[in-house]
Amino acid sequence: MDTSLDETQRLLRDSIREYLTREVPFDRIRALERDGGIDEELWRYLATSGFLGLPFAEPIGGGGSLTDLAVVLEELTARAAVIPYMETMAAAVALERHAGSDAGPVLEAVAAGRMSLSPALSNGLPGTAPPSGTFAGGRFSGTRRLVDYAQNVTHHLVSVTHNGRPALALVDRSEHGVSMTPLTQIGRTPLANVVYEDVPAEVIAGPEAVQFLRRSLPALTAIQCVGNAQQSLNMSVEYVSMRVQFGRPIGTFQAVQHHCANMATMTLGARFLAYEAVWKLDHGLADDRLVLRAKSWASKTATEVPMLAHQLHGGIGYTEEYDLHFFSRRGKDRATAWGAADECLSFLADTLAEEPAWQ
Amino acid sequence: MDYGWSTELAAFRAEVKAFISEVKTPELMAELDNSMESRRVTPGLRKLRAAVDARGWVKMCWPVEFGGEGKSPWFQFILAEEFSLAGIPYGRGTASMIGPAIERFGTPAQKAKYLPGIWSGEISLALGYSEPNAGTDLASLQTAATRDGDDWVINGQKLWTSGAHVDTHVWLAARTDPDAPKHRGISMFIVPLTAPGVSVRPIWTMGGVRTNETFYEDVRIPGDALVGEPGQGWYILANALDFERVAIGDGTALVPAFSRLVSFLRDERPDRFENKVTRLRLCELELELEVMRALTLTNASIVARGDTPTMEASMAKVWTTELRYKLGSIGMDLLGREGALSPQGEGLAPLDGEMDRTYRTSPFLRFGGGTNEVQRDIVARRGLGLPR
Ligand SMILES: Cc1cc2nc3c(=O)[nH]c(=O)nc-3n(C[C@H](O)[C@H](O)[C@H](O)COP(=O)(O)OP(=O)(O)OC[C@H]3O[C@@H](n4cnc5c(N)ncnc54)[C@H](O)[C@@H]3O)c2cc1C
Repeated sequence: MDTSLDETQRLLRDSIREYLTREVPFDRIRALERDGGIDEELWRYLATSGFLGLPFAEPIGGGGSLTDLAVVLEELTARAAVIPYMETMAAAVALERHAGSDAGPVLEAVAAGRMSLSPALSNGLPGTAPPSGTFAGGRFSGTRRLVDYAQNVTHHLVSVTHNGRPALALVDRSEHGVSMTPLTQIGRTPLANVVYEDVPAEVIAGPEAVQFLRRSLPALTAIQCVGNAQQSLNMSVEYVSMRVQFGRPIGTFQAVQHHCANMATMTLGARFLAYEAVWKLDHGLADDRLVLRAKSWASKTATEVPMLAHQLHGGIGYTEEYDLHFFSRRGKDRATAWGAADECLSFLADTLAEEPAWQ
Repeated sequence: MDYGWSTELAAFRAEVKAFISEVKTPELMAELDNSMESRRVTPGLRKLRAAVDARGWVKMCWPVEFGGEGKSPWFQFILAEEFSLAGIPYGRGTASMIGPAIERFGTPAQKAKYLPGIWSGEISLALGYSEPNAGTDLASLQTAATRDGDDWVINGQKLWTSGAHVDTHVWLAARTDPDAPKHRGISMFIVPLTAPGVSVRPIWTMGGVRTNETFYEDVRIPGDALVGEPGQGWYILANALDFERVAIGDGTALVPAFSRLVSFLRDERPDRFENKVTRLRLCELELELEVMRALTLTNASIVARGDTPTMEASMAKVWTTELRYKLGSIGMDLLGREGALSPQGEGLAPLDGEMDRTYRTSPFLRFGGGTNEVQRDIVARRGLGLPR
């Protein structure tokens, strides 16, 4: 066991962090949130620098692990980047691992930045009802609600029932018959309800890929939760060391220190569990309960830690001009995505008796 | 001890309820909804206040010398509570914070000049306390007022002067004696926001709510704008802050919000409502709302006896503001991913994004009006007498 980053991961983290700090100012995020759309420039950079092919086997990709991917995802989260990186990579990795050679062209297009994906599942949690809608003769009709970046990605990966079994079908977003209702959510990244009316849908992967995706989405979303919490904690530690009241930095007050200590402890727990879930998923060792324990705690952390950060920042941190709200709003969005804390808990409660550890 | 309501108060409550059910039209509610972020007094609200006044309810608790009936503060409490439960912002909150301070520290002439307007809502006051370097450490404020003949001349900058773009006056804390120890050199003024030299710049927050920066450049005001004695400001301010805590600590408006959440889950998301975890969370909130009610009524009971709550006000302030955050957060979680949806009309978001809005507007109440850390210090030190 070693919870520290290895050499490759450190290099990955440093290079993406350095690029983001230099090239992605928060005012650009502000403009994107206001005007809609995604950060095309950043997406191109990720493609040309190999980040979009990172976890695919060579020669298509960089032969990296899912954990490597998570390290990059956390950095993107810590800069509040507005891109469908998590969605595209979770979908593509599910295809790479479980769709066989059919996935080759998709992976190549993803790695090159020509294709981007968003999973359009009926529900994010494992073990739930079969997907709604009708799929027959290579065409799909139905509704998928609350699809992240639905308006921005080139393709949706839609959950369908094929030959009586769960499957994933690729739908071109620009097809006639795909209509979207954009929604405004607390994180201000794109989201939409989608209606598909008799659109061409190509089945590309089966039950294993569905199962993988239903686990990788909560696990990777847990990483985003950690990214938002960590960034809020870092900003707080820095701020309370600088802000002076009563002639001394507020970081000298015990009440402030205790908040920081609690924030750090929560985040450390969430970090371990989230990365462990990703790593175990990569090694075929994760089950639903392990993933949803991680997501439940990460969701709680992405709520509490940024809100305590607001408490420590006082008025200044609450303004539009200051950058903290990116992390409190995005943190709460990620907390509700792919399993809100209590949705996960409810699943854990239903399956408690099945947990080998307690038998 | 008496946990019930006298026949008189019960009858009054029934009367208020009947009145509200008459005036609470969909048109009024839509109008109030639209004006929420601008905080402007809308025509509908003005009409409503006139109707309340016509019933004698505005002045009933005023002292007899100002044309009131000198009734028990419980009447005012019940009136305010019923309006909160109905979701109608009946009065500008600052009246309940500053009215009592002027009652206590103002000259007879000042009382006659300001109190009726403050109570009726014609005069509304922004709170000019905080500055860039004077937040929790309020006593280090630097905005200066200097004597010039009979007048005072004000120079400086205030931060977070909420409502200054719509209110008529600012209740301003300024330093009148730079040489005195910092708590002793402060005085309180009532400054018209229309006075030459006052300027207001908007600050937008993540909750969508506007607050302001205000600048004072050689603002000349007459001598009678000073409330209390020069140098007495800190004492007056501390008293007003106690009342502010009572006001922020009143979370009655959370009750209808909770009730809407429960109804929505029950009627529109029955699968979720059937879930035991959902029910458990809702009942936890229900319980915390009960404790809030306990704290609110304890404070009201202290005020009705003619005392000023201290520890109890701080307890209520912490409890209510933390609960507001929890209601928003848990409400969002219980709705799942769609709980993250913001207000956007067209029936797209559950409760039209009320839980998201509650969440995003909760942070500033936790640190505003005296931060919750400091409130806990007050409970421990002023309340429980723990050593410093
Ligand atoms: C939307 C909004 C509206 C507002 N409206 C008004 C208004 O109308 N009028 C007005 O005058 N002000 C207003 N305020 C200001 C508000 O009252 C201040 O934000 C508050 O007093 C805290 O001050 P600060 O923001 O400078 O935080 P700071 O004082 O810098 O506090 C930051 C953190 O340090 C902690 N801390 C500081 N000192 C101590 C200590 N001694 N012990 C333990 N912890 C400590 C605090 O608890 C907090 O967690 C408003 C603020 C906002 C955001």
